Amino acid sequence: MNEHLSSQFDEDLDRVRTLVLQMGGLVETQIAAAVNAFESGEVDTVKNIVETDQRVNQLEKTIDDDCAHIIARRQPTASDLRLVLGISKIVTDLERVGDEAKKIAKGALRIYEQGHTPVQYGVGIRHLADAALNLLRQTLDAFARLDTAQATMVIQQDAEIDVEFKATVRQLITHMMEDPRTISFSIDILWIARAVERIGDHAKNISEQVVFIVEGRDIRHTSKAAKA
Amino acid sequence: MWSQIARTLILALTTLTAAAALGWLVDYWLGVLAALAGIGLQMARHFRNFSRLDRWSTAPSIEARPEAEGAWDMIFSRLYRHEKDLRAQIARRDAELALLTAAGQALPDGVILLDEQNRILFCNTTAENQLGLDVRSDRRQPVVNLVRQPDFIAYLEAADFSRPLSLRAERGEERVLSIHAIAYAGDRRLLHVRDVTLADRVDRMRRDFVANVSHELRTPLTVLSGFLETLQEIELDRGERERYLGMMAEQSLRMQSIVQDLLTLSTIESAPPPENLPIEMPELIDKLRGDAEALSAGRHTIVVETAGRGDLIGARSEIASAFGNLVSNAVRYTLLGGTIRLQWRVGAEGAEFAVQDNGIGIDAKHLPRLTERFYRVDRGRSRDTGGTGLGLAIVKHALNRHQARLEIVSTPGMGSRFAAKFPASRVVGL
Repeated sequence: MNEHLSSQFDEDLDRVRTLVLQMGGLVETQIAAAVNAFESGEVDTVKNIVETDQRVNQLEKTIDDDCAHIIARRQPTASDLRLVLGISKIVTDLERVGDEAKKIAKGALRIYEQGHTPVQYGVGIRHLADAALNLLRQTLDAFARLDTAQATMVIQQDAEIDVEFKATVRQLITHMMEDPRTISFSIDILWIARAVERIGDHAKNISEQVVFIVEGRDIRHTSKAAKA
Repeated sequence: MWSQIARTLILALTTLTAAAALGWLVDYWLGVLAALAGIGLQMARHFRNFSRLDRWSTAPSIEARPEAEGAWDMIFSRLYRHEKDLRAQIARRDAELALLTAAGQALPDGVILLDEQNRILFCNTTAENQLGLDVRSDRRQPVVNLVRQPDFIAYLEAADFSRPLSLRAERGEERVLSIHAIAYAGDRRLLHVRDVTLADRVDRMRRDFVANVSHELRTPLTVLSGFLETLQEIELDRGERERYLGMMAEQSLRMQSIVQDLLTLSTIESAPPPENLPIEMPELIDKLRGDAEALSAGRHTIVVETAGRGDLIGARSEIASAFGNLVSNAVRYTLLGGTIRLQWRVGAEGAEFAVQDNGIGIDAKHLPRLTERFYRVDRGRSRDTGGTGLGLAIVKHALNRHQARLEIVSTPGMGSRFAAKFPASRVVGL
């Protein structure tokens, strides 16, 4: 009887985990689509991205609800409890990543609607976005496999994205100073770069939760050395 | 079994009888003592064997047969044999399983076995590479946890497996996968993953080709008909008239060269294998240098470098047109004052004709598609310089027919090197 109960419990946990990863998959495609829209100017997909965001939001609510149910009905302890707590935080981050994707898409739409083509920034943003998307993918893999080594790697790699973001900002500032007419356009690009950079931060947060789930160590807001 | 019990009983009875006799003849207590000692001895023997069995059974070993006395020996040997058979059987099964797994690994396509809950039971290395899985860490993991694309999840959930799903691989390089789920053993699924990147590219090439041919021909045609209309409707003075006619002639020449290249291509494609005649290379190279100098009109330095002696065997017209295309490309895409090197090297492993320039170069992402018909790196520029977009396609086909490979090395801004490598079997006079 006891065993039956606990295996039912395991199934519940597995299901929530799969839901989280499903949400992650949606967000991953959202980002890829948003960056494609920005780069190619095929902004028809923007509507889809916004619609997907509603599904992401719906999933966030479902998962939160499931987590509350598990805590109330099963009273999980130790690593199970950490998993449930971790998931409810990961979901928040994922939902924000979805919002960032939406921002990128809308920014792209605004830029193209005003008749600009961000050719010279396309490559830089694409590079930044590929790196961020890669981080998110790795962090979700780390969550699926409960692999702290990979999670730690993600945390370290996020710093590279921050460096690249700053380089993009410097480049934009130079352009704005040279030609003030490009200011509004440059600011739109800046918002997009900022959104991409935030995706990297969220990926880092998720990785920190993975470490918490597996090892029970809270490594948020600690120095780099302590995270390794 | 019964004989063993009988023997034990007889032994016990004999002991008791002997003890009774002793008690009767010598002393009553001595008899009792002897009986107890006799039974005790036998029990001690059984106990020793029992503890041996106990020890062996906690860690059954087949290294050495456990030794025991009397009735116990038989039981020991039976247990020992049973254990040995069991191990042999397990080893056989393991070997069979390993063979099946090896067969799964040998498949050129990716294979993933899933259980009822879509958890990964087995996947071969091909599938691991295609989807970024790792069977050591991912066994019993729901496949949707790692292949998270919404399209894939929807495909598995819809459970309509009449047609495969086409999916872009997320990890690593750009690949197109075709995933087909097949039900087996009831509710379980087998995922068959094929890499269709090539087929996908061929498909796109075909679509692009038709679109490109029409586009390439329509552009000059539009110009032509535009000028025709102008000439028909507006009275022009002689000078303008001449200028328009000149431009019209230029456009029709352009169409002509496109059609000519298309014909060349289709001839090369459909013709029987090339005749195998020796081609005099010094003469051909000389001609190529002359062509290059004429085309360049003094804007570039043309250098010829040869090493080794030997001629090619093949169809001269095809080889000449292939090399000619490489040379004219180099001239066209090298800026004023650049250097173009025509290199001809013959060695033991074959021959190589290469054209090296320090021109504008090509970005790496264009290289795989460069020999596609009408594929253009920069649409505007290549047409300005008079290319038809078919040159490299002709080169590739002509070289293919001579078992030669085209190798392209290029760095944007630094220049490119196009090399045609011929096998030794295509070279004479080594």
